[in-house]
Amino acid sequence: MGFSRYLLRRLGYAVIVLFVIMTFNFAIFRLMPGDATKMIIDPMFTPEAIAELKRQFGLDDPPLVQYFKYVGNLFKFDLGLSFSTRRPVVNELKERLPNTAVLFLASFTLTTIIGISVGVYTASKRGTFGDNFVTGAGLFAFAVPSFWIQLLLLMLFGYYIPILPIHGTMSAPPPDGFLLQFLDRIHHLILPAGSNVIVAFGSWALYTRNTMLEALGQDYIVTARAKGLPENTVLRHHALRSVLPPIVTLIFGALPGMVSGAVITETIFSWHGVGKYLMDAVMQQDYPAAQGAFYLIALAVVICNLAADIVYGIVDPRIRVGEGGAK
Amino acid sequence: MAILEVRDLKMYYKTLRGHVKAVDSVSFDIERGKALGIAGESGCGKTSMAVTVLRLLPSNGKIHGGSVKLDGIDIVKLDDEEFRKSVRWKKISMVFQGAMNALNPVHRVGDQIVEAILAHEDVPHQEAATRAEELLDMVGINPKRYKEYPHEFSGGMKQRVVIAMALACNPDVIIADEPTTALDVMVQSQVLKAMEDLRKRLDLSMMLITHDLSVIAQTCDNIAIMYAGKIVEYGNVIDVFDNPTHPYGMGLVKSFPNIKAERTRVRSLPGFPPNLLAPPKGCRFHPRCPLAGDICMEEEPELIEIGSNSHKVACHKVDMLERGVNIWEQ
Repeated sequence: MGFSRYLLRRLGYAVIVLFVIMTFNFAIFRLMPGDATKMIIDPMFTPEAIAELKRQFGLDDPPLVQYFKYVGNLFKFDLGLSFSTRRPVVNELKERLPNTAVLFLASFTLTTIIGISVGVYTASKRGTFGDNFVTGAGLFAFAVPSFWIQLLLLMLFGYYIPILPIHGTMSAPPPDGFLLQFLDRIHHLILPAGSNVIVAFGSWALYTRNTMLEALGQDYIVTARAKGLPENTVLRHHALRSVLPPIVTLIFGALPGMVSGAVITETIFSWHGVGKYLMDAVMQQDYPAAQGAFYLIALAVVICNLAADIVYGIVDPRIRVGEGGAK
Repeated sequence: MAILEVRDLKMYYKTLRGHVKAVDSVSFDIERGKALGIAGESGCGKTSMAVTVLRLLPSNGKIHGGSVKLDGIDIVKLDDEEFRKSVRWKKISMVFQGAMNALNPVHRVGDQIVEAILAHEDVPHQEAATRAEELLDMVGINPKRYKEYPHEFSGGMKQRVVIAMALACNPDVIIADEPTTALDVMVQSQVLKAMEDLRKRLDLSMMLITHDLSVIAQTCDNIAIMYAGKIVEYGNVIDVFDNPTHPYGMGLVKSFPNIKAERTRVRSLPGFPPNLLAPPKGCRFHPRCPLAGDICMEEEPELIEIGSNSHKVACHKVDMLERGVNIWEQ
């Protein structure tokens, strides 16, 4: 059938993309200026010691052999040892992945809920001060660089009104008791997740507002009003319900961007996650760590893209027909 | 007593260049169990009048006076929430112009009927669903199709669903705005017949808006002809069709080909409908009227009764017209 062929094709693309990323991932860090071995090899060592260290880290092989070893290890989830901590990169990523996932899920859920609600609200109040204000503010936040807003918020709530922690995922030492620990984590989450929402809700709100306005002009909305339904029901049950499919599609389409945006957010708020790990690794020319983090993020992006393609195919039947060759 | 009494109703749209007087001092009655047809060319205010009665006005439309009495109660004065709960669909329901788009594409047709019932009556969902099935059956749709979506229905069937929906709360008055315009001729007559049967059976009053005079002739008791936001001729369907008296009404009736008469060219009225932002002074029809004299350019004619049977005409030259002058023939 059309849809399964479409799905297979998308899966094929995903595999190719992953392979290309894998290769770039290998090459890019080796093309970077500077000599990574300086991080781990003291020039005072004897030549024998240097050779031994290079052998341990697999740096004495020709590049092509290194590449094949690297690919082979990837399939075994062996990402090598970090140059700086000498621990397996896989273990370090495992520690940090939950933090990134929490930040990502919180930002994503709040952004979509707030964005869509604001869009519905502004569409129902079209032309009023509330509409203009919210739409304008959303556009502004969307247009300026995200790190700028994040730094301003950090300054505001960390320095001028110091009510929120400025870095980390929890207090050190953590408070006693599960509930207090949980609240402590939420407390640390407010700034990074909140700033992500402020930066991103505008585009959802605008998109929802525009599709809602189009839906509100339809005849079936007049029918719903004429039936004597409360305005709230008309808005949610009739207008929003009919424009939800394209919005859901768009949300999935935006997932990859949110994943990669984590690098900036985590760096600014010193969030102990994969994005910050990548940044640090790049700064320290820690090949294995950077490769691992980079690959993990790329994997997440590819998976999100695949999910977007699948959802799109489900929501819009025309895609299936076109791709399935039923012409 | 009339179930619906409209007096001096005025509804204007506010635009950047002033008020568009879409409904200007309109008065008419609809008797219980009777149907009133409202005819007129595009843009004369027919649909505006329908949405004014149900208060489904766009944000720039506003009622500027007059009263709409439903069973003796002036519904113009009710506040929005009360109007929504006690009048919309419960007392006055509507069958809409676009048969294709009047149903929400993402909800099952049965649910859309149930929703109307539950908005006004405190009954269990199951009971409302049973009633929705009965309603579908009543308009000739298999109740098994309750769970289908609008795109699975043909245009004529969608319009039947809309009619079933309009009957859901046993309203007193149904406003039908061009109910058959989007349908082909065969389906048109089926839908009209279904509506007629139901109206007779349920003793419903109806306001039927159309530019198709044959639809009015077939289904209505009375007719009101609108021109530029005003009613220019009003009366029993037979009187008005046999003896149209207002120059515009006459032109409108004459412009409709008679299949039993000799073949002639269909006459159209010269000129264009007036700009409602600045309607002509005096009688609004005078720029297109062959009889127009000085008084027509100065004074607005009243709707006055001529002959018997409450046949009313708004024209200064009514004496001349009553003598049977045929003004639209060469």
